[in-house]
Amino acid sequence: MIRIVGGLALAALAAGLVMAFGVAPRETTQGNVQRIMYLHVPSVWVAYLAFAVVLVASITYLVRRLEAADRLAHASAEVGVLFTGLTIATGSIWGKPTWGTWWTWDARLTSVSILFVMYLGYLLLRGMVEDRERGARYAAVLGIVAAFNIPLVHFSVYWWRTLHQPPSLMKPGPGTMPGVIVAALLVNFAAFSLLYVYFVAKRACLLRREAEAA
Amino acid sequence: MADNWGFVLAAYGLAAVVLLSYWRFLARRERTKTPRARPPRARPGVSDPPAPAVSEPLAPTSGHPRSKPASRPPLQ
Repeated sequence: MIRIVGGLALAALAAGLVMAFGVAPRETTQGNVQRIMYLHVPSVWVAYLAFAVVLVASITYLVRRLEAADRLAHASAEVGVLFTGLTIATGSIWGKPTWGTWWTWDARLTSVSILFVMYLGYLLLRGMVEDRERGARYAAVLGIVAAFNIPLVHFSVYWWRTLHQPPSLMKPGPGTMPGVIVAALLVNFAAFSLLYVYFVAKRACLLRREAEAA
Repeated sequence: MADNWGFVLAAYGLAAVVLLSYWRFLARRERTKTPRARPPRARPGVSDPPAPAVSEPLAPTSGHPRSKPASRPPLQ
């Protein structure tokens, strides 16, 4: 089953590349550098998704003490950190030619960095506490607290005056982007979501094996 | 505005490296955590010596051969 999801993710990623480079037109203002959007925006979507899963799994673990929920939270946090790092890096690469700087302490960038550091701390906490059950409990609490940062990241562009543009797709009201660009973006959303499912399933499976072997 | 293809390639290249590295990390970890399957035993051929019959379970020993009590010389 995991292999099938992996195969689907690979096919969807290939389709996403075709859409991003072959189908989507060159943007008139930014030029071809805007094609980084097809990588940057799906990455942050997966990061949001991953940390939302951490929140739900952490609550489930605290309420019902399900080992599987703890493993899901752990796996999802790890993949979320990976995609948040990718979001920051690709955003920085996109920022240099468009804003003229690799980094600026604007509200969106700063809040994403805090999110990244918080979940990095979550993973470190898991590794630090020797008692597995106690570590899982502490991590679940941190997983819930850190999730409060997700709306802060998303709405930071509305709440503060920032250099970062407001959301193009994940916003209420009618879209302003041409249909072909939205289609390319949606294909990449699907591809990254499948990749997320594949990574989390594989990682959770490994965590189960490690727990059984211990 | 200039197209800045170098930045596009850098972003996609970095993403490819990061995602492939994580996939390899998972695959390597899976290999080390999965117990290795025992190699299949070859079928006994005509020239193979017959397998010794196991009559009774062997008692744990120190590894050194011991003579049977009846064949031991009496203590002086």
